[in-house]
Amino acid sequence: MEFFFEVLIGGLLSGVMYSLVALGFVLIYKASGVFNFAQGAMVFFAAATFVGLHEMGLNFWLALVATLAAMIVLGLATERIVLRPLVNQPQITLFMATIGLSFLIEGMSQLFWGSQPHNLDLGIQDEPIEWINAAIGLGISKFDLAAAGIAAVLVAALAVFFNRTRIGRALRAVADDHQAALAVGIPLQQIWGIVWAVAGFVALVSGLLWGARNGVQFALTFLALKALPVLILGGFESIPGAIVGGLIVGASEKLAEVYIGPKVGGGIEGWFPYVLALLFLLVRPEGLFGEKRIDRV
Amino acid sequence: MLYREAGQFKATYAEDQQIFPIRQDRIAVLLMLAVAYLLVPFFANEYWLSAILTPFLIFALATLGLNLLTGYAGQLSLGTAAFMAVGAFAAYNLLLRVPGIPLLVAFVLAGVCAALVGIVFGLPSLRIKGFYLAVATLAAQFFVVWALTKFGWFSNYSSSGVITAQKMSILGYSFDSPLAKYLLVLTIVAVLALAAKNMVRSSLGRAWMAVRDMDVAAEVIGIRILHTKLMAFAISSFYCGMAGALYAFAYLGTVEPEGFNLDLSFRVLFMVIIGGVGSILGSFLGAGFIVLLPIFLDTIAHPIELGLTLPPGLMSNVELVVFGGLIIFFLVVEPHGLARLWQICKEKLRLWPFPH
Amino acid sequence: MTTQRKIGEVVLELDRVSLSFGGVKALTGISFDVREHEIRAIIGPNGAGKSSMLNVINGVYHPQEGTISFRGEVRHEMNPHRTATQGIARTFQNIALFKGMSVLDNIMTGRNLKMRASFLEQAIHVGRARREELENRHRVEEVIDFLEIQHIRKTPVGRLPYGLQKRVELARALAAEPSLLLLDEPMAGMNVEEKQDMCRFVLDVNEQYGTTIVLIEHDMGVVMDISDRVVVLDYGKKIGDGTPDEVRTNKAVIDAYLGVAH
Repeated sequence: MEFFFEVLIGGLLSGVMYSLVALGFVLIYKASGVFNFAQGAMVFFAAATFVGLHEMGLNFWLALVATLAAMIVLGLATERIVLRPLVNQPQITLFMATIGLSFLIEGMSQLFWGSQPHNLDLGIQDEPIEWINAAIGLGISKFDLAAAGIAAVLVAALAVFFNRTRIGRALRAVADDHQAALAVGIPLQQIWGIVWAVAGFVALVSGLLWGARNGVQFALTFLALKALPVLILGGFESIPGAIVGGLIVGASEKLAEVYIGPKVGGGIEGWFPYVLALLFLLVRPEGLFGEKRIDRV
Repeated sequence: MLYREAGQFKATYAEDQQIFPIRQDRIAVLLMLAVAYLLVPFFANEYWLSAILTPFLIFALATLGLNLLTGYAGQLSLGTAAFMAVGAFAAYNLLLRVPGIPLLVAFVLAGVCAALVGIVFGLPSLRIKGFYLAVATLAAQFFVVWALTKFGWFSNYSSSGVITAQKMSILGYSFDSPLAKYLLVLTIVAVLALAAKNMVRSSLGRAWMAVRDMDVAAEVIGIRILHTKLMAFAISSFYCGMAGALYAFAYLGTVEPEGFNLDLSFRVLFMVIIGGVGSILGSFLGAGFIVLLPIFLDTIAHPIELGLTLPPGLMSNVELVVFGGLIIFFLVVEPHGLARLWQICKEKLRLWPFPH
Repeated sequence: MTTQRKIGEVVLELDRVSLSFGGVKALTGISFDVREHEIRAIIGPNGAGKSSMLNVINGVYHPQEGTISFRGEVRHEMNPHRTATQGIARTFQNIALFKGMSVLDNIMTGRNLKMRASFLEQAIHVGRARREELENRHRVEEVIDFLEIQHIRKTPVGRLPYGLQKRVELARALAAEPSLLLLDEPMAGMNVEEKQDMCRFVLDVNEQYGTTIVLIEHDMGVVMDISDRVVVLDYGKKIGDGTPDEVRTNKAVIDAYLGVAH
């Protein structure tokens, strides 16, 4: 029984990490209606840049700030060069453009920083917390808990930002209807700049956490793909949805691997979340928190 | 002026509905077939045949399949490689386990297997649209590759699922040389391309485009949405399955499930986008472009490389950057791809050399 | 100006149909009937539920209460595919043409139900598939002649002006040879000339082919001129039903249009 809880909690905590990546998607989708397939590439770029700068001699905080600046520049450039010219195109076109963008960023990251995996040390160890282990007999990783904590703070901050501030309201207006937002005087370009900057920041946090956990390597870009089932479960436009979705995906993935995996030869982590999302979609096409779309004829 | 239609009158509907109504088009196509069948075998060396033309044709077939599904029927799919894998492994198993089965029959049955898998993963498309559907096809992609690796039966219990394609022979004639393989692939692709062009301009193709453009209206007209979508998945997967079988048998020789990964699916999607969504010609143009691009990059990289020792993997990263950049470029500048550019060319040819 | 036509039995009947979306009641207890070969207009202020009414008849929306009966078959909800096979065709308020195709192809899709050839036959394009394509092309050209759109048959519909797009949509509906035609504001956004043309077409369809027509329209002149009977909706309820003259003098109808508080 304890084993079950260990796997469950481990899964939940890794799910938090997925949520972080999904958050980046949700932000951009909420504000500009674009499904940014390149989010995973951005996470990779953030992690690689940070590690690269750090290894070049900059200290932790300086590297952090510099990377954040780089992410913001990347976001603004993306908005300018890729999204603005495609403003009136159907969503599928924009989606395919972001696929192209992800390839571009991946290639660039490796050109700048090389293709070997790097280590990222955040100072938090991936070991079980002693006193919890002693008390309940469950092995919960210090690192995972810290990551969950950071993610919780981030989510809370974003929720407040979106719902309680003027800028947040402007963002939601823009997401709903660009033209109407323009009509009431919301500066579209600035708003998009802010959104991409925030998404870049989220990508940075995700990059650091994931990089510390798994090492900074090319496989990080596949995280974007893992975030997709999260988004399907949680809905594309909901911040709480991204969290809940992430938790569900993380937990179910681990549990499935441990309990169903051995019966079919293992390795089902790769497709289980997708099939789960697929089954879910059949029942509820908008996700847990998504909005139902009524097509008016 | 070369391309004027003046003087070409259509006296019957049958003439108007021909596959190539303009005489210049008919001549061009016949010319291309002549070149492909008669000239190329004489002038092309083995490298060109086996490393460029044959893969070009095979990818064109896969692109055609994906174009039918995504371009004409509007169902976004990221699982192309999975269907190719089904085709490859099905063909291998059929030839292995069914004694005396003719090669072409095995290929067609392999395509049918791929079509069946396509139908299964296309069933969600009734409820799900857009990128949600793309994610469902990702499920197909990951699951199929996993299943082919995990269940040893598919690869005859070889380690890591690698299979070696059998020799191809029809009626005793063995297709061993690059030239023979090229001609076989050329014929299969030409026939399937013709079939695709026919389907696309008849009621099935119109039904697909109707579902793509506005499915509520399509339903009201009487088009059965699920049937239309499933046909798209089935036929598209059939084409991809055939392409996969040819990929294994006429090109690579040995394949493993991992070789049909997400990367390959994206590559074919890029061929569709760059070539032209919803265009048969575009499928060929896009495939050609992407097959030739790495070779082109390599060729210009060589002069630059003199004296410099480039780190390994640099070219593949440059390739990534160039691909990504090109996708964005095409989507921004000409979202309808090379096919549209070609159409614009033809429009200009109508007048050239006159200014207006 | 209605010429004498033999108006037949009741062919479509709605009985206490109610439709709501979440909390919004689009239709409440609507009952009316349509007789064969007549031109029946549905009028009412904006938001009265007229388009929803057509969508219910077509099966695009499923009502929560009430029944719809077509040719004697009583159902709680209609199914779009079945209504098409039974001979009901329609046009939409915001043009629902297939923007990626030419005019000819759009109208050809209207005849999709009549094409029986399998996909294999279509792939080879001989025999039955080829014959059907040519036959249907023949019929479609008849419709194109009828609506005078020969000059634009190869144009992609996205490039056409609004008035012509509406005509193409009508052509697509006619191509199916329907017995009941539902028209949702076919003359919206047209100038006087275009409206006269459209009126003429609607009347011709009714007279030449005997098609029963249910028509939503805002232009009172048109409605009074060409329809046999009129249904008036307001806020999802029926407030009038009868000949144009009866409806014109109905106080509730006048109030609804003048915006008297209620």
